[in-house]
Amino acid sequence: MCLTEKKRENQLLILYASQTGNAMDAAERFGREAERRGCPSISVLSMDEFDPSELPNKEAVILVVSTTGQGDNPDSMKGFWRFLLQKNLTEDWLKGVNYAVFGLGDSSYQKYNFVAKKLDKRFSSLGATPIIERGLGDDQHPSGYEGALDPWMSSLWSILYQRNPRLLPNAITPDDTLMDQPKVQVIYHDTEEGLSPMTTSTDFNYLEMQLEKAHSMNPAKYSGKNRPDCFLKLTKNNLLSQVESGKDVRHFEFEAVSCAIDYDVGDILEVLPGQSPEALDAFMQRCNLNPESYITVVLTCFQVQVQARDNENRGFQKPSSPVKLKSFIELTMDVASASPRRYFFEVMSFFATAEHEKERLQYFASPEGRDDLYQYNQKERRTVLEVLEDFPSVQMPFEWLVQLVPPLKTRAFSISSSNSAHPNQVHLTISLVSWTTPYKRKRTGLCSSWLAGLDPNQRVLIPAWISKGCLPPPPPSLPLILVGPGTGCAPFHGFVEERAIQSKSVTTAPVVFFFGCRNEEDDFLYRDFWLSHLQKDGVLSEEKGGGFYVAFSREQPHKVYVQHKMREQSSKIWSLLSQGAAVYVAGSANKMPADVLSALEEIVSNETGVPKEAASTWIRTLERAGKYHVEAWS
Amino acid sequence: MGQDKLLVITDQVAVSISAVSDAIKKLRKEDVVEVDPLIITQATSDSLTSLEFSSIDDVVSLFKTLEFPSDQLLGNISRVLKPGGAVLFHFDSQTIGEQMKNPSLEHELILAGFLDIHRESFGMKCKKPSWKIGSSFALKKTSQVLPKVQMNDDDDLIDEDSLLTEEDLKKPQLPSVGDCEVGITKKACKNCSCGRAGDEEKVKLGLTMDQINNPQSACGSCGLGDAFRCSTCPYKGLPKFKLGEKIALSGNFLASDI
Repeated sequence: MCLTEKKRENQLLILYASQTGNAMDAAERFGREAERRGCPSISVLSMDEFDPSELPNKEAVILVVSTTGQGDNPDSMKGFWRFLLQKNLTEDWLKGVNYAVFGLGDSSYQKYNFVAKKLDKRFSSLGATPIIERGLGDDQHPSGYEGALDPWMSSLWSILYQRNPRLLPNAITPDDTLMDQPKVQVIYHDTEEGLSPMTTSTDFNYLEMQLEKAHSMNPAKYSGKNRPDCFLKLTKNNLLSQVESGKDVRHFEFEAVSCAIDYDVGDILEVLPGQSPEALDAFMQRCNLNPESYITVVLTCFQVQVQARDNENRGFQKPSSPVKLKSFIELTMDVASASPRRYFFEVMSFFATAEHEKERLQYFASPEGRDDLYQYNQKERRTVLEVLEDFPSVQMPFEWLVQLVPPLKTRAFSISSSNSAHPNQVHLTISLVSWTTPYKRKRTGLCSSWLAGLDPNQRVLIPAWISKGCLPPPPPSLPLILVGPGTGCAPFHGFVEERAIQSKSVTTAPVVFFFGCRNEEDDFLYRDFWLSHLQKDGVLSEEKGGGFYVAFSREQPHKVYVQHKMREQSSKIWSLLSQGAAVYVAGSANKMPADVLSALEEIVSNETGVPKEAASTWIRTLERAGKYHVEAWS
Repeated sequence: MGQDKLLVITDQVAVSISAVSDAIKKLRKEDVVEVDPLIITQATSDSLTSLEFSSIDDVVSLFKTLEFPSDQLLGNISRVLKPGGAVLFHFDSQTIGEQMKNPSLEHELILAGFLDIHRESFGMKCKKPSWKIGSSFALKKTSQVLPKVQMNDDDDLIDEDSLLTEEDLKKPQLPSVGDCEVGITKKACKNCSCGRAGDEEKVKLGLTMDQINNPQSACGSCGLGDAFRCSTCPYKGLPKFKLGEKIALSGNFLASDI
């Protein structure tokens, strides 16, 4: 790093690490507010889009980070954080860099805002100058994180202005009345120009093209993905749970149609869900859009300039050939599931012609109305379509809709098959997500309900991506302790299939699996599969040193969970651990991983006689040595 | 002892008795004449395929090449070894300096499933795990020693937990303890298991049939839809309606349980 390099003057860098989009929204809000205050150069980037070695060159950096899972960094922060943790970074590496950290967390968790706290400390210990004390947003606050964000942001602007008036020239009188301009331009075409006269023969080629074009045009960050790794066709959709149980858990099997599929056990499959044709039609009708028209979406000239000035090439400017409006919406804009953000309401207010609607929208967008907006919108999980229907006088131009409708996101699932056991196939185990809103409306999850309703006989093509999760595939010689209640058993179904195949050619180490469910009748997922492996020579059999233990939580008056079963097998678990076994934990509910950890600490402590703290430390070293893995989802 | 099967593998064409003996002594502390080792020369990864699995008690590797045995060969060594068997990798004296500089030797052995990995003056030593299928273990209940955990060389990062202060680690202050009443303050967790989320849904004012058939609104806003209703509005969750006209309940709506 060249120390004589001059710092970029009057530039504001806003970095965010977002897991579900909240930190990104907050970061974009900082960007807009800075823009209104006349900041000449602003960059808003996800941490995985930014090279941390450039940090010393920056004059002012705002960091917006969420704490997720068990006090963990969002995925997009992993590389950035790893870089910052290097021992060889000196105490003055960030000298001259002014920074501020805002964290999004939930005070009902023990590790409240740990990510922001650690980041703040690390920055200052590397010599950076704090502009303001770190801000901590709290989901438990009546207005969520925005309760802390607004006052914190006000202070931030005033201090920044005092330090360098040229960074925010309009800080005293921000431009609130002048409305922002949309960031994109939509061009309408008569036909699908540029398409070769020969129609493409395979249906997935066409879908792939549409998807690629649509994604390359959409300014919102859907998840940084372009071309899917493969296209899948559904071959099986089997209910695993009993109908009477009130749960809907299914086993799905897919076949790759576009190219050979390749994955390891423990990997994750991300799928792009379809949207209901009724919802799409309703949306297009509501917004007076012609589904059949062809469009291209490009950045406005101003945006192109802004991006060029910042030298951050998002690879977005190249115009591609037109795409059908309906496809564009279907593939990239979430109209009937995700809730819009506060800014959507702000922009709506400008386009409302009915006075009472305009007033209400302005109220929702104001600090005073934040609580009520939260009750109406976020808490109730109001969809874009519902919001637009609740404010019928609003006619928002399509450019704004493209920019502000939440992007259609992929959904990730742990793969439950072994590729070796099922070549060219991938299987999933999915529980239908359903809940009742505070206003008593019944809602279901977009992706899980879409998949549940798919018929293998209809040839529906599903864009999919394979990625690594938190569960690295174990070599056959590694003894395993697996804990996976409910749908947490999915990746381990793959582990067992894989080990069964491996055992035909090499000696495999023992596998012990702890499963949990409500009762034997209702939701004992893959019962026959697990029991077959308990038979002679099965992966979980006694002959192979294995084991299978089920906790039925509701078969008796008191609750029995996986951790109780683990304690019953204390000596077996300890013998495996002392032989170098690795522990894998998967499943939903935020208490389960902590309960399992606690049970393990007790087991280690009881079996060896060491005090609990020593056992706890030893398990932490297991984690650092790559022998303790948790994949938890909510 | 006695009928122990010892395997010696080397990539060389020929190997001297003294070299073999030397290596065996380091492993077993006994002379070569007291054992009858199986010696495989010009060994490659495939050379062990003819051996049955779990048939060898200990292995001595005398490879002259600079490269550490491949994953495949390590896998095969593991396969033929009995549980608890030891492996000695005796490096060539000319190249040992270079070889021992390689920081991932332990890593490769861990990945191949070996334990008790040690660097020695002559090379590497390790063991195959000795979990015996179906047998019981004598547990040292009062042992104060926990097994050493093999760590990768990732210690060039600081311990991030050291960044947190006492203050940070204290359990955060939750707003008003004992706040089990559903209200505006504490919200149910995303994965509520105590039932609070359910209770929050239930805190609604009941709606009578009359209110559904002939809805009235003193404030005038109730019919405009959820976006305009106050937090205590009895019509919350219902679609829009005109005053006096029966409300059309959609399939999505759950009638409140009174």
